[in-house]
Amino acid sequence: MLSRRDFLKLVVKGAVLGNFYQLISPPLAEAVAAGEVKKLPVVMIETGTCTGDSISLDNIWTPTFSDILTNITDWRYDWTMMQAQGDAAYQVLQETYEKMPNEYILIVQGSMIQRDGGHYNHVAYENGKLVTGLELVRRLGLKAKYVVAIGHCATYGGPVAGYPNPTQSTGVQNILPERRVINVSGCPAHPDWIMGTLLHLALYGEPELEKYGRPKLFYGETIHNRCPRRRYYDQGIFATEIGQKECLFRVGCKGPVTYADCPIRRWNDHINWPIGCNTPCIGCTEPGYPDLMSPFTVHLPDIPFPGGTKVNTDAIGLGVLGLTSIAITGHVATSLYKGRIQKNLLRTSVKAQHRPAVKKVKTFHQYRLKKT
Amino acid sequence: MKHHVKLRKPLVKQLKKGNVKGTIVQSQPIWVRIFHWGFATSLIVVILTGLQLHKPASFLALNFSKVLTAHLVFGWFSMGFLAIRIADALIRRDDSLIPKIQDLKHFPQLMAYYFFLRSSPPPARKYNSGQLLIYFSWFLLFLLASFLGLTSYWQGEHLIWVWRLIGGFQVLRWTKFIITIYFLATIPVHIYLSLTEDISRLQAMVTGYERKPSPNNR
Ligand code: HEM
Ligand code: SF4
Ligand code: SF4
Repeated sequence: MLSRRDFLKLVVKGAVLGNFYQLISPPLAEAVAAGEVKKLPVVMIETGTCTGDSISLDNIWTPTFSDILTNITDWRYDWTMMQAQGDAAYQVLQETYEKMPNEYILIVQGSMIQRDGGHYNHVAYENGKLVTGLELVRRLGLKAKYVVAIGHCATYGGPVAGYPNPTQSTGVQNILPERRVINVSGCPAHPDWIMGTLLHLALYGEPELEKYGRPKLFYGETIHNRCPRRRYYDQGIFATEIGQKECLFRVGCKGPVTYADCPIRRWNDHINWPIGCNTPCIGCTEPGYPDLMSPFTVHLPDIPFPGGTKVNTDAIGLGVLGLTSIAITGHVATSLYKGRIQKNLLRTSVKAQHRPAVKKVKTFHQYRLKKT
Repeated sequence: MKHHVKLRKPLVKQLKKGNVKGTIVQSQPIWVRIFHWGFATSLIVVILTGLQLHKPASFLALNFSKVLTAHLVFGWFSMGFLAIRIADALIRRDDSLIPKIQDLKHFPQLMAYYFFLRSSPPPARKYNSGQLLIYFSWFLLFLLASFLGLTSYWQGEHLIWVWRLIGGFQVLRWTKFIITIYFLATIPVHIYLSLTEDISRLQAMVTGYERKPSPNNR
């Protein structure tokens, strides 16, 4: 079987060449066929989501997504992919929950909607009762072998939790403090990040996680550190408009504050990525996105004020400095008018008028030996 | 008539003293002066490079990796100068920079003076209540900014709890930016008042000695 070392190498190599699955699936399928690894039972719950991560996952090109679903994983419950519906489908989920505790992987897509007991988000109908996403995720999460949150909504709340967050949405980790949630963030998450994490779970268990619970193998380095335009940044050559070919820092690139491997992995089967087509990274993998990352074209987030207005940070800075200069100018003028400055300067600098007199108190005579 | 008498040193000193209204006192020991000017220069470099890191001015076309290096190097310098001042304060048991309730009680009167409602400032220890508030806030905010700076410098290798506490890189940089704005708003006030209130105290920051006006001269 593939060693973990080789696997990690393939993760990078596959990113650079854009054929991660081509590289990874033959040894993996062999291992599954030889019974060295069990197929991963996976269930996916969608809560407050746009299903973007499913669409992104579907972007796995070679081999096709269905190959992975059937040969390498045991994809049991997933609204977007499953063909059964209604009770028949839900039965599978129940079975997995009851018969495979500590075996299945729970994938959550979408934010946890907490307002009014979670009743703005129903995900199932059970014995004549609506089940909230909050409840189902907690129930399944407590018995899952691993809990994987995919996409920014499930990891840190995402756009659903954006200001002013009327539904009080949040990420899975916050409602499941008992478990360590593996955060595969991104808006959407890259198919390689999702599938790579799942494969790592199947083959070697939990991957090493970084400070916000994301697998280090994909989120270990900032965009900025591996950006092909880094040399422009280092030399201070900046694009002044979106669409130019220099470093996009001045037009709001969040690469310096964002951890992901997009510069080498790229998107849509390695075709391109934002900076490759001259638009800034918007920081979609970081906690706080989108509020902390928007406006996408400036560097720092706007400051929300009560009442719903937002003010640009730079404007506040300039405003404060403007007020200070006005205040000082006003004070100088008043002080001059009132004579305070003149008085202070005289009081603290002028020497006394009188000249001290010296009187001779003693005369010293110096005696020296005569030369003979 | 010119005298070419050679006077002995103590006499010259006495003469000079007699020549000045009020009394000359030492007010700023050498380490305080070293700290003040060293810290001021380093901090200005830190702040200007920080602003450049925040939003590069294209017309300057500075080499950006050098800007970051300058920011870091002078960041370390300013922390070093602050460490000198702290050590100095501990050795001399100097609490002149720590605001006390007694000082703050005079704050309204001081404000009345600054707004021309009083003709003279209230009595104070070495520094008045306004100065104490500004200096002490600088001390705290400098420590905070440096700490956040170190956190981003280590990129999550150390001090991971700070990342989690503050809520990510963006908030970290945002906080540093706001602190920078505070510095930029208060430093000019500091310079303005030190130039116009008591120029001999500015002199003291250079030579160490300050002239206290004699009481009947106020
Ligand atoms: C009073 C002290 C300091 C002030 C006022 C200050 C100010 C700033 C400002 C305004 C920025 C730009 C942030 C932005 O808007 O994007 C910045 C960036 C930075 N500062 Fe400081 N800074 C201080 C001390 C330090 C120290 C002591 C260090 C490290 C030893 C440090 C390390 C950094 C780093 C690494 C960055 C770049 C952030 C990044 O992109 O990684 N700073 N600083
Ligand atoms: S384009 Fe963005 S990520 Fe690339 S060097 Fe510039 S700031 Fe960094
Ligand atoms: S380049 Fe930035 S915004 Fe785009 S996917 Fe990567 S992390 Fe997200």
